[in-house]
Amino acid sequence: MSDYSVVLKNLNKIYNNLLKDDTVALENVNLEIEQSEFISIIGPSGCGKSTLLRIVGNLDKATSGTIEYKDGVDQQLGFVFQDSVLLPWKNVRENAEFPLVIQKKQTKENEEKLDELLELAGLTEFKTALPRELSGGMKQRVSIVRALSYDAPLMLMDEPFGALDALTRDHLNEELLKIWQKTKKTIIFVTHSIEEAAFLSDRVVVMSPRPGRIKEIVKIDLPRPRGEATRNDPKFTEYSKYLRGIIG
Amino acid sequence: MKKNHKTNNTLRGILEYAVSIGIFLLIWYLYVTIKDVPAYVLPSPGKVGTSLIALFTKGTIWVHLRTTTFEVILGFAAGAFLGIILGYIFIKIDFLKTTLMPYLIFAQTAPKIALVPLFVVWFGIGLVSKIVLIISMVLFPVLSGTMLGLESIPANVRDLMKILKASKWQLFSKVEMLYASPALFSSFKVGIVQAVIGAIVAEWMSGKQGLGYILTYASSTYNTPMLLAGIIVTILLGIVTYEIVNFMENKALYWHESKQI
Repeated sequence: MSDYSVVLKNLNKIYNNLLKDDTVALENVNLEIEQSEFISIIGPSGCGKSTLLRIVGNLDKATSGTIEYKDGVDQQLGFVFQDSVLLPWKNVRENAEFPLVIQKKQTKENEEKLDELLELAGLTEFKTALPRELSGGMKQRVSIVRALSYDAPLMLMDEPFGALDALTRDHLNEELLKIWQKTKKTIIFVTHSIEEAAFLSDRVVVMSPRPGRIKEIVKIDLPRPRGEATRNDPKFTEYSKYLRGIIG
Repeated sequence: MKKNHKTNNTLRGILEYAVSIGIFLLIWYLYVTIKDVPAYVLPSPGKVGTSLIALFTKGTIWVHLRTTTFEVILGFAAGAFLGIILGYIFIKIDFLKTTLMPYLIFAQTAPKIALVPLFVVWFGIGLVSKIVLIISMVLFPVLSGTMLGLESIPANVRDLMKILKASKWQLFSKVEMLYASPALFSSFKVGIVQAVIGAIVAEWMSGKQGLGYILTYASSTYNTPMLLAGIIVTILLGIVTYEIVNFMENKALYWHESKQI
């Protein structure tokens, strides 16, 4: 167990409907996620990938099955939503600092780390800006820094770049990899973009809909650090093609 | 350059306002003089002005103004507080909302003025019956505002607080109240106007102090200049208290889209 960050065993999620047949959102999901692994979950909409992530994040309850975290029930985790969910009355730094305030961890060391993270995300100049003054990409950077601020070893990301334009998205993908390499987090990343999944991940979990289950797990064997060159790598194109084939 | 433009606009606004009031006073004056209207029906603006100044210089108004202001502030604060608490409880406990809401709507739609004699019977002619009336007028708008505000919090924000393992108090004080504040301030603006109305009406019915008392006293003695002067003071009190709430809103909601410059 010690090598794994999260282990999912026989997870099922069933929504009971009064008038229709029950909806099986997840069926028998088994997954072992290693420490410091970057794992993506892709599949067509309605395949239960977001539900799965929410269950891992304790935002939803599985109907049956177990989840074992490395740190047990007190597992700290960071969650990045598709929408940045910044508090509109707080400026960039206050938003990023918010978890430290809530968890009463405003030590000097943590504050310094936070400033480093803001620097790493290119937000230093925008520390005092309010969310309404930021672009979508900027907001999502703040949201990621916030999720990292309290140093949770496990990061869950639910289509964090889904609402951004392609250029910003590519750019943020590369930045995310940099942050990941530096912080050694375990990242579970839900996306509907095949290229994004192939570019970022160590492994890509492909799910099929109704009932939502794991169809195949593809190991992405591309060299790291990845960057512009990776996107031009013929192997990258092959992986993308292969993944597209499975999803069908 | 920009600031200059802004002051010019403000000046122009004040000027237009002054001209408008000037024309109104002029028509009033001409009507009273030409038609020779008796002063107990409609006194000239000059007489009302004199009476108004006399109220302040002789000092008769102060004690009444103080009484009414005190009632308005106390009643508003109590009504707003209860409205927020009830709104919060209704949102959290659906059962209480469904069981208690009909009574509140019933109480809200009943004409409050009709309840004043009842409040006098129950709570006497002192401060309590007046405060109860004001609370009954402020509570409902604030309650609705609180509920609307709390219901408009994005679901993801609650998820975020859950992820951060925030306590119920942290959720309430750091997120819910702030998200609810735009709707709350809207309801405060309705509530403060209601509070002034409530105070005046309550003073009509009972009491020997307050602006409402001045109005009934002036009316029963056919002192129409004083009556109109009293009405003007009442309106001024309404405007001032409303503007205070407005000012607080502008300070508190600096972050809100509606305050974007």
